[in-house]
Amino acid sequence: MTTPGLLGLPVAWLGVFFVAPIVIVALYSFNVYTLFPGPHGFTLDAWHTVAGSAIYRHLFWKSIEMSLIVSISIVLLAYPLAYYLALSGTRRKYVLLLLLIAPFLTSYLLRVLAWKVILGDQGVINSFLVWTHVRGPEHPISQLLYSRFAVMLVLAYIWLPFVALPIFVSLENLDQRLLEAAGDLYASRWRAFFAVTLPLSLPGVIAAFFFVFIPTIGEFVTPSLVGGTGGYMYGNQIVDKFGAGFPDWETGSVLALFLIIVVAVLTTVFSRFLQPQRAAAG
Amino acid sequence: MEDEETRRFDRQTLFRYAAATGGAGVLAGRTGIADAMRAISAAETGRLQVMDWAGYGNDGGQSMFASYVKGHAASKPQFTYMTNESDALAKIHAGTKADLFRPYVGWVKYFATSGLVQPWDPSLISNFRHLNPFMVKAGQYGGKQYGIPDDWGFDAILYRTDKVHPASNSWGLIFDDRYKGKISWFDDLNMITVAGLYLGFKNPWNQTDAQLKKSQDLLIKKKKNVRLIWSSETNLWEAFGSGDIWIAYAWPNDWVQMKKKGLKVAYMRPKEKPVAWVGMFMLLKTSSRPKLAHAYVDAWSSTKSAKWLEDNYGYGHANTIARPASSDLLKALQLTNPRAVTEPAAHLDRDIPRRATYANLWEQVKAS
Repeated sequence: MTTPGLLGLPVAWLGVFFVAPIVIVALYSFNVYTLFPGPHGFTLDAWHTVAGSAIYRHLFWKSIEMSLIVSISIVLLAYPLAYYLALSGTRRKYVLLLLLIAPFLTSYLLRVLAWKVILGDQGVINSFLVWTHVRGPEHPISQLLYSRFAVMLVLAYIWLPFVALPIFVSLENLDQRLLEAAGDLYASRWRAFFAVTLPLSLPGVIAAFFFVFIPTIGEFVTPSLVGGTGGYMYGNQIVDKFGAGFPDWETGSVLALFLIIVVAVLTTVFSRFLQPQRAAAG
Repeated sequence: MEDEETRRFDRQTLFRYAAATGGAGVLAGRTGIADAMRAISAAETGRLQVMDWAGYGNDGGQSMFASYVKGHAASKPQFTYMTNESDALAKIHAGTKADLFRPYVGWVKYFATSGLVQPWDPSLISNFRHLNPFMVKAGQYGGKQYGIPDDWGFDAILYRTDKVHPASNSWGLIFDDRYKGKISWFDDLNMITVAGLYLGFKNPWNQTDAQLKKSQDLLIKKKKNVRLIWSSETNLWEAFGSGDIWIAYAWPNDWVQMKKKGLKVAYMRPKEKPVAWVGMFMLLKTSSRPKLAHAYVDAWSSTKSAKWLEDNYGYGHANTIARPASSDLLKALQLTNPRAVTEPAAHLDRDIPRRATYANLWEQVKAS
C-alpha cells in the first residue's frame, strides 16, 4: 500500500471524529447552528457573554489551579517511584510495575467511589482519628470529602500510573554508561542525578505532566462524585450548559471550544518537549 | 409521508376503528374499550419508543407496564433515557424518535405550546377516572389534556432530629449558618424558586429581575454552608445515611428510607409550603404509535401499577385508589387527601416563563 493510502484511514478518522465535531461545536458557538428551530445567524453573543463573565473566568482559573496542583504533586510523587523501578536494578521491577497499574483492572467509578468510604465523616480516616482520640466523634475532618481537596486527591490517585509510566520509560532508556562516566569523573550521586539523569529524563517528566494536566482541566466525573459544592470544575459547567436546567448549547459550545484552544496550545508546547534531543539541547 | 392530522388520534379515529372491529362492543363499556384498543393498536407496528428516566424502563420499572407488554407483545417498549427535561428537549430537537416521554408538571405549558406534543384522548385511558383531579387539571393546557399525571412527590426538608434544632418550620433551614457543612441542596433550578419562596416573593416562579438577583445572591451567600448538591437520590441517601449531611432538600421517600436506616429524622413541611411535583406523560406530535402510547399510559395508570410504584419506589402515584403498604409513606404523601398537592397545603409546581434565565442563574450559583 502506498503512503497516501496508509495515511488515508487515520486522516479520515481524524476528519470525521475530531475535526468535524469541533467544527459543529464552533458553529453552535456562533449561533450558525441552533438546537431550536427558528431564525438564527452568525453572532458573537455567546462569546461576549463568556468573555465578560467573571464567574466563568474564576471557574476556569480554579480548574487550572486544581489541575496544576494535581499534576505537579503526582509528578513529584511518581518520579522517585519510577526511578526506583527503572534504576535500582531490582529483578522484580516488572512485577512492581504491574502492581502499580493493577487498580486499572477495576472500574474507574468503583475506584472513585471507594474513596467515599475512606474519606467520609464516618469513613476509615475519621474513624481512625476518633479511635485514637485525635478528634472527637462530633468533630470529624469534614474537608476530606465533598471538597476541592477530595477532588484533587482522587484525581491524583487515578492519574498516578499515567505519570509513572512515561517517567519509567524515559529513565529505563537512559544510557547507563553516562552515569558510569559521571562516577568515573568523581561526580557525587546527587551531582550525577542533577547533571545527567534529571535532564535526560525531563522529556518523560514533561510528557507525564501534560498527560495529567490536559485531561484534568476538563474533568467532570470525579468532581460530581466527590467534589460537593467546593469541587465544582469548569468541565461540570460545560455539562450543565448542555444538559441541565435549560439547554444553552451556544454558551456550552463557547466554553468547550475555549478549553479545546487552551489544550491545543498546551499540546503544541508539550510536543516540543517530547523530542528528547531538542529538549536536552534546550 | 403521513399527514400530521391523520396521525393524530382522536375520537373520530376511534369510532372508525371501532366500526371496523365490530364497534358495538367498543361503545358498550370499559372492557370493550380495552379490547378495541388492543385491536386498533395492533394496526400500529414496531416497538413503542419511550423516552423516560432511568429506573422507569427495563432497568427495574417493568412492573409498571407489565400489563401493556402482556397485551402488546409485538410492540414492547424500547427505552431511551432522559436525564431531565432539558435533556429530553435537546434529544427531541436533535431528532430522537420517541412516541412519548415524561417531563414534570412545571414543563406542561412549555411543551404544550412548543408544537412538539399533541393532546391525549383521556376516553381511551380506562384508568384515567382514578387519577387525582388536581393533577389531571395541572396536565391541561387550553382545555386539552397534554399531560397524564403519574408519579409525584414533594420538595421539602429532611433533617436529623438528634442533631438539628430548627429555629422555625421554614425553608430557611437549608440556609442556616449554624449547620455549615451539614446541608445538602438539590441540583435543580427550583432552588431559585425555593429561594424566592423563602424571601416571601409573591410569585417565585415568575420573579422580576430584582427578585431574581436577590434569590441568586441568597444562594451564592449561603452556598458556603452547603456540602453537597445532590442530583440523584442514591447520592443523597449515601451522604445523609453516613452522617455527612444532616439537612437536605428532599422528597418524601428520602424520609422513609432514612427512617428505615434507623436515623432519627423528620420531614418538615415548611411554613412557606412544600412544592409538589408530578410526572406527566406527554405524547409527541411525531408519534407514529399514538394508540400504543395510550395503552402504555393506561397500564402505568392502573391501581396495581400505582401501588407497586408506591411500595417499591416510594413515590406517590396519581391513582387515588392505590395505597402503599408503608404507613409512613402514606403519612408523608398525605395520600388520603387528594388536595395535599395544591393550595392551601402545598404549591403545585408550575410553569416558569423565564426558565432559561433561571437555569443560567442556578448554574452561576454552582460555578461561583
